[in-house]
This record gives sequence, C-alpha cells and structure tokens, in this order.
Amino acid sequence: MNEEFDDFLVSALAPPGRDPDRHFVRQVQARVLLEEYLEARQRSVLAGLARQLAVLVVVAVPMWWLSRAAPIAFWLAESPALALASLLTGFLFLVAMLTVRPGISVGFFQEN
Amino acid sequence: MAPGNDEDLALSRRAAAGDHGAFALLVEKHERPLRAFLSRTFGVQHADDIAQDAFLKAWRGAGQYDGRARYSTWLTRIAWRCRIDAVRREKAPEADDFGSTNVAASTAEVADMLGRLTERERASLVLCEGHGWTHAEAAELLNIPLGTLKSTVARAKARCRAMWQGAA
Repeated sequence: MNEEFDDFLVSALAPPGRDPDRHFVRQVQARVLLEEYLEARQRSVLAGLARQLAVLVVVAVPMWWLSRAAPIAFWLAESPALALASLLTGFLFLVAMLTVRPGISVGFFQEN
Repeated sequence: MAPGNDEDLALSRRAAAGDHGAFALLVEKHERPLRAFLSRTFGVQHADDIAQDAFLKAWRGAGQYDGRARYSTWLTRIAWRCRIDAVRREKAPEADDFGSTNVAASTAEVADMLGRLTERERASLVLCEGHGWTHAEAAELLNIPLGTLKSTVARAKARCRAMWQGAA
C-alpha cells in the first residue's frame, strides 16, 4: 500500500513529460525585448535631459556674464524695451534649441 | 560545480553577453519543471506570471549564475522570491487550483490533496518527491533548517497518504 502510494505521489508530482512550450518561450522573449527597449528609451531620455541642461548652461552663463559688462548694463538701463525684446529673442532661441531632439534609434518596433 | 551544469553555465554566460538565442534555449529547457512546481505550489493562475517574472530576472542576472548550483535550483530560488515579493506587493489571495500537470495522475485527487496542505508543505513535497531535489536544496530555497524541512516533507506526505487512503 505504502509503495503504491509512493509511486502515485512521485508520478503525480513529477514535471509533465511534454515538449517545450514555444508559446511561453516567445512570451518570455517578448518581455525581454520589451525590457531592453524600455531601458534603451530611458537611457535616451536621460541623455537628452543631460544635453538640454548642458545647452542651457552654455547659453545662460555667457549671457549672464555679458549682462554684467558695464556698457551692456548701461544699455539695459537706458532702453528697457529693447532689452526686453532682446531677452525674448534670446529666450525663443533657447527654447528652439532645447526642443530640437535627436531621433531615438532603438528600432524595437521596427524590428519586431 | 554540480555535474551537468556546464551547458547551462555556458548558455547563461552567452545570455549575459546579450545572446537572446542562448537564453531562449535556457527557457525551453527549464520552463516545464519550473511551471510545474509553481502551479503545484502556488496555483495554476499564478504560475505563469511568476515564471515569466523569474525568467526576466534570470535574464537580467544571467551574469550572476556561477554554476555552483543547478540552473533549475538557481531559477527556482528566483521564482520563490518573485512570489514572496508579489504577495508583499499585492497581498495575493491564496491559490485554490493546483491542477495536475501529469495526465497519468488523477487531476482532481492531486489538486485536492495539495490544496489541503500549507504553501510550505506543498513546496517541500513537490520539490523533494516530484522533482528530485535533495532535502538540503529544498531547505535552502525555503530558508528553513534541514530538520524542519525533513519533518515538513514527512508531515505533508503523511497527510497526503491519509487523504489518499481515505479516498481509496
């Protein structure tokens, strides 16, 4: 009786004898690819943010430095409207530079 | 290194280097026992989700597999932690369908027997009786002393035997 039960238990709990489940394998592969794509996308976004920050610093620091020069400070005080227009132009230029984004070349969806 | 691990170690190293084909071979080789264990222990409805999470983590950590344990042992440990994380995160309800993966055994009978055991008893019994794990391997997975594991297996087996004899 005990031996019969042991045989029953072992056969009942053993992994099934079947071929690999290709559908499951494909599901896992799809998740792996998706994860890689998302990681690449995240890296790309972070790199873009770093680039934009660098551009901001590159543009803002010289402008600040220039505005401290005596002739410029005098001009800003004498012609505030013109100074404001210049400031707006500079701001628009900055916005244009920051909004130009390089293409993301991960190609996950094109490949799959 | 445990015998027979060379192939899995080589595949895992290739996977760590980004080889999707090598990882697919590992999934093909190990999905059957892993999913059988998970469906027996945690229920059919949770098994595939946990198995997918485990394989994803195995892909991420492919470089960490050093071949000292069997790949299936390493993978099952990952799956076990995935289940613990899922329970903590979602307070997942107790599974109630431990459907048979073996057509030779009576599906309802086995599912009923397993359903009356605790999760730890099910895991111990399935690994040690059905999957050929050593008591030491199962004790390490479940993070319990070897003696506790042995008594857990014996208790689970005795309960199943009583149910089986009662049903016969």
